[in-house]
Amino acid sequence: MEKNSMEEFQRSTVPRKNVIEFRPPLYKQRYFFVKDIVNQYKPKKVADLGCGNATLLCMLKFHSCVQELVGVDLLMDRLLDWNSDKLSPSIGDHLGPRDLDLSIVLYRGSAVEKDSRLLGFDLITCIELIEHLDSEDLAKFPEVVFGYFSPGMVVISTPNSDFNPLFPASTFRNSDHKFEWNQTQFQHWASNVAKLYSYTVEFTGVGAPPPWAKHVGYCTQIGIFKKKQPDPGSWILAKPTGSRISEPEEHVYQVVFTASFPSLQQKHFLLFVLCTEVLKEVEAIRQKYVWIMKRKESSEPESEEDTDSGLVRRPGLFLTDAQVAQIEKSPKPYSVGKRFYVPLKRLIGYPKVNRLVADVSTLRTLLAEGIPMRLNRAHTSVQIDLDPYDYPHDYR
Amino acid sequence: MGSCWERLLEELQLGAGLQALSLKGKRGLGAIFQDQVVNTRQYLEHVKDSTTGTQGRVVKLFTNHFRVTSRPELLTYKYNIDYMPEIEDGKVRTDLLCQHKHVIGECHIFDGNSLLLPHKLQKQKTELVSRWGKKIVKVTVEFCSELKPTSLDCLRYYNILFRKILKMMDLKQVGRNYYNENEATEFLNHKLVIWPGYSTSILEYETSITLCADVNHKLLRMQTAYDLIMHVDNKSQRKDAKEISKELVGSIVFTKYNNRTYRVDAINWEETPRSTFKKSGGEEITFVDYYKEQHGLVVTDLTQPLLVSKGKWKKSQQDTPHEPIMLVPELCYLTGLTDEMRKDYRVMRDLAMHTRLDPEKRQHELRRFMNIVQKNKSAQRELQLWDLKFDPNFVSFSGRIMKEVRILQGSRAFNSHPQFADWSKETRSGPLLNVKSLDHWLVLYPRRNYGAALSLLQSLRKVTPTMGIAMRDAKMLEVNDTVQSYTTILENHVSSKTQMVLCVLSSDRKDLYDGIKKYLCVNCPIPSQCVVARTLDKPQTLMTIATKIAQQMNCKMGGALWKVETGLRNAMFVGIDCFHDIVNRRKSIAGFVSSVNQELTQWFSQCVFQEAGQELVSGLKACLEAALKLWYKHNLFLPQSIIVYRDGVGDGQLQALIEHEVPQIRSSLKSVYGDESKVRLTVVVVKKRINTRFFAEYQGRLQNPLPGTVIDVEVTKRQWYDFFIVSQSVKDGTVTPTHYNVIHDTVHFTPDGIQCLTYRLCHMYYNLSGVIRVPAPCHYAHKLAYLVGQSIHQEPHYSLASRLFYL
Repeated sequence: MEKNSMEEFQRSTVPRKNVIEFRPPLYKQRYFFVKDIVNQYKPKKVADLGCGNATLLCMLKFHSCVQELVGVDLLMDRLLDWNSDKLSPSIGDHLGPRDLDLSIVLYRGSAVEKDSRLLGFDLITCIELIEHLDSEDLAKFPEVVFGYFSPGMVVISTPNSDFNPLFPASTFRNSDHKFEWNQTQFQHWASNVAKLYSYTVEFTGVGAPPPWAKHVGYCTQIGIFKKKQPDPGSWILAKPTGSRISEPEEHVYQVVFTASFPSLQQKHFLLFVLCTEVLKEVEAIRQKYVWIMKRKESSEPESEEDTDSGLVRRPGLFLTDAQVAQIEKSPKPYSVGKRFYVPLKRLIGYPKVNRLVADVSTLRTLLAEGIPMRLNRAHTSVQIDLDPYDYPHDYR
Repeated sequence: MGSCWERLLEELQLGAGLQALSLKGKRGLGAIFQDQVVNTRQYLEHVKDSTTGTQGRVVKLFTNHFRVTSRPELLTYKYNIDYMPEIEDGKVRTDLLCQHKHVIGECHIFDGNSLLLPHKLQKQKTELVSRWGKKIVKVTVEFCSELKPTSLDCLRYYNILFRKILKMMDLKQVGRNYYNENEATEFLNHKLVIWPGYSTSILEYETSITLCADVNHKLLRMQTAYDLIMHVDNKSQRKDAKEISKELVGSIVFTKYNNRTYRVDAINWEETPRSTFKKSGGEEITFVDYYKEQHGLVVTDLTQPLLVSKGKWKKSQQDTPHEPIMLVPELCYLTGLTDEMRKDYRVMRDLAMHTRLDPEKRQHELRRFMNIVQKNKSAQRELQLWDLKFDPNFVSFSGRIMKEVRILQGSRAFNSHPQFADWSKETRSGPLLNVKSLDHWLVLYPRRNYGAALSLLQSLRKVTPTMGIAMRDAKMLEVNDTVQSYTTILENHVSSKTQMVLCVLSSDRKDLYDGIKKYLCVNCPIPSQCVVARTLDKPQTLMTIATKIAQQMNCKMGGALWKVETGLRNAMFVGIDCFHDIVNRRKSIAGFVSSVNQELTQWFSQCVFQEAGQELVSGLKACLEAALKLWYKHNLFLPQSIIVYRDGVGDGQLQALIEHEVPQIRSSLKSVYGDESKVRLTVVVVKKRINTRFFAEYQGRLQNPLPGTVIDVEVTKRQWYDFFIVSQSVKDGTVTPTHYNVIHDTVHFTPDGIQCLTYRLCHMYYNLSGVIRVPAPCHYAHKLAYLVGQSIHQEPHYSLASRLFYL
């Protein structure tokens, strides 16, 4: 239910006069609206009811805060044929894992059926969904979504029929629409629902009316429902989680797709990324070290920069003065014979390493597991060859 | 040594490592199918009845093919699908069609243009209406033809189906193959990841339809283009745009956010991630904001340059202008191996250990694969819909081991070792076949490598007498580490008498090597030998290395090491191979190497420059005429037959080869001989990159077949005069056979005749005292094209053409 064919299609066929054109297209604006909500409230668990071909999910998977993404739709077959690739982790997700876990599950199911797996979400979106429900389903809908699922926040969008007169055709925007509400109808319904299930609601929309018809409101009207908290002072999302532990398990939806993304929360990937970053860093330090040594040898006049901070700074590495000072204070890299050593205590000062592990002992444990051959005996430094090309070679 | 790595690179599918990994797989398979329809055997009367030989010892073999056991007897129905308005995107086309599953049914295979159904639709022509976003699209399904189960078209659909099945098994498609990310192996030390995967194809062979499956590996790197830019930056401590361009331009990068690959065509130093571009909606946005908004990616260095990609490189689109794509280096992962990594024996050792599967292990993996296919419910459901089943065992049949080949070296003769296909010991323990004395030669060395140069000379003194090489003292010349210094010294010391220049190099810097080679091949044509000083460091290997260098220098000066009796008199042999400079999109180079004497110890080497991407040699005529002229000069008559081994033919080019290249050869023969009946011609297409493997069973274990094993049954084609030969021996891993396809043959070779001759030609490559994978002239042509394409980029001087200067 991602797009209304009428609002997109008719606009492209009617004569230029009075043509209302949305840029970007309205369906995209709706998705961007949800993205903004996600950016603002940073929900961990997000579900999209009536997810259609999962375009919204594909967009939301890029948000680092989201750790669980669920899509529910009655029709799932054709989606699987062509969007499952986009929802599965790609090579890039393996090479550059996310910070936090992300799992994506798609269910075949209806928004008016209860399934306990949808409990405890921070955000549930119903984009252009309710207008497809017949009166019986529409009556069940609030109890399922607000009463049972009871997420921290609900976003509901639906066509605004006040806007329809601006379109040349007078029928519904999509033949499958059971109704199209005007602003008053929608707000009335929404306010009642909010009241009943202790939510607050505010109204907004996307697709602003042309200046000469301001009164009709947004083309798509949107209601943002937030669950009322016991303490109104602290408005934090993710409150609902676990509030319904006692609820019996009910699995009505059918799982049609699952994916789990590599992340730094998984030790395997943390190890991989950490070792790579450490080795990149050590390699860069070694190069600088060798370069400084060579300059000393050739007894070129000392540059104005102090050699040690020369050893710390390098292009492309963004350090604050405090970070530089910290690294300068730490044990210095050194070479013995053909080997070059960078103490772990120094490495931890580099932001790209520090981002991954907080302290030296964790760093030591992980490196010992990932690249044991590259540590000195005491496991206090990473060790590499001073001249990496010092080994037998093929000859030409 | 070198060949060892080459083989590994091939196994890693990096041989053509710079080729873009196009994420759409359609082209490759289509190309293979194009070749299938070419029937060359119909014109070869003498092998009408059989293309099977009889000579040699019979051996039971297995191959990595699985027979398709239950062929559906029922017909299938092909429908053409049309879109109104026209839709380009394949995925969208599929989606629009699949909106009508109630009409076409669950069981269907769609290739983007046409649909295969197991049943007939009610109407000849069905018109459907689909929704695509804001558009309404009319989809017309029109009956095209009934397909027999054996028809090629039908097999094409089965291949599409099988790829769908691989996808169902959670394998990830990269390029043409499918990989299992869950069984990835990380090489933390090398910042590399390897994904194991499979390549599959369903095709018809001699007696049956089989699924050919092989294990392969995808190599991924943990380095971004940004890392590389900074890496180079560090070395010189300043931004050296030239250095960075040299390393980056031509490489393929992979962008993590959209799972796509791009070729880097340039680096734009004027722009940064803060630059803006126009989105499809028309609004301007900076790259930083765009990636943050669209993909949640943070660009940390706002001063980095941008990479420019001109987009996909397709022959058909060469002339159409593209909007170049700008990429942020930080978000681009590098792919393939760098020269630096290729030279790092630790990287190569680890990769080799991991990716080289011996026959037992390969079989195990493939059985496991077939097992997973059998156990996967949705895969089975899909296969059952089409009534397709696979025999879980390897196809087996008989091959033959050809007789060992006699190597003649002066008064001595010996056989190639039956298992290791090698005679290096024998060859170095006596005089060479044809010796050139080293009278006037120069040795150039950088000061710090004086010791290495000296110890090499001492070792050469020790090893040359046994080989029969007379060696006078070389003129020792000290140089600096620059191309300039080498060429200046050479300019001052080379005389008309100088026979050889030996350069000791302090490192294997490519620019230095290229510069020296270019100078000595083009400006000042003298045979030359380069040695990296480090290879001379180890006393225990010094003698072996000195021996090899002495042999190489002898060949480069026009000497010969040994010979092999071919059994064919008055024949000229030709090898052709191509080199495509994908990095610089320069012209392709075809090497054309032809024999000069009856013994096949002297070769004439020419090359042809062609437009980029063009595979077929069009300057063939001039080469062939020059080759015949030289042959005539040496032998005082023209050859009675000409045998051409043509390597470097891509998938889907067979038809073009027959339509353009063979006629060109024939017409130039006609003009030289006056009458075509005075000369016989055989053209054999050589193919090294194939997925078919063979295994022999010894003591209950699968092993590599012995060198000299020939296969001309079961997995050959009915419409071709083709065979496989396993000619080389490998220490570890699975040997790759070479496929030979005789497309033209007025010599009227019997199968035994051409097989035996081909195998013998594999014994004649002077850079290795052992059997190689292809006939020697092919490999010489490869070496020549590679040197010209990689290093000198110009036609070598004519005076070098009758020597193996490129060895």
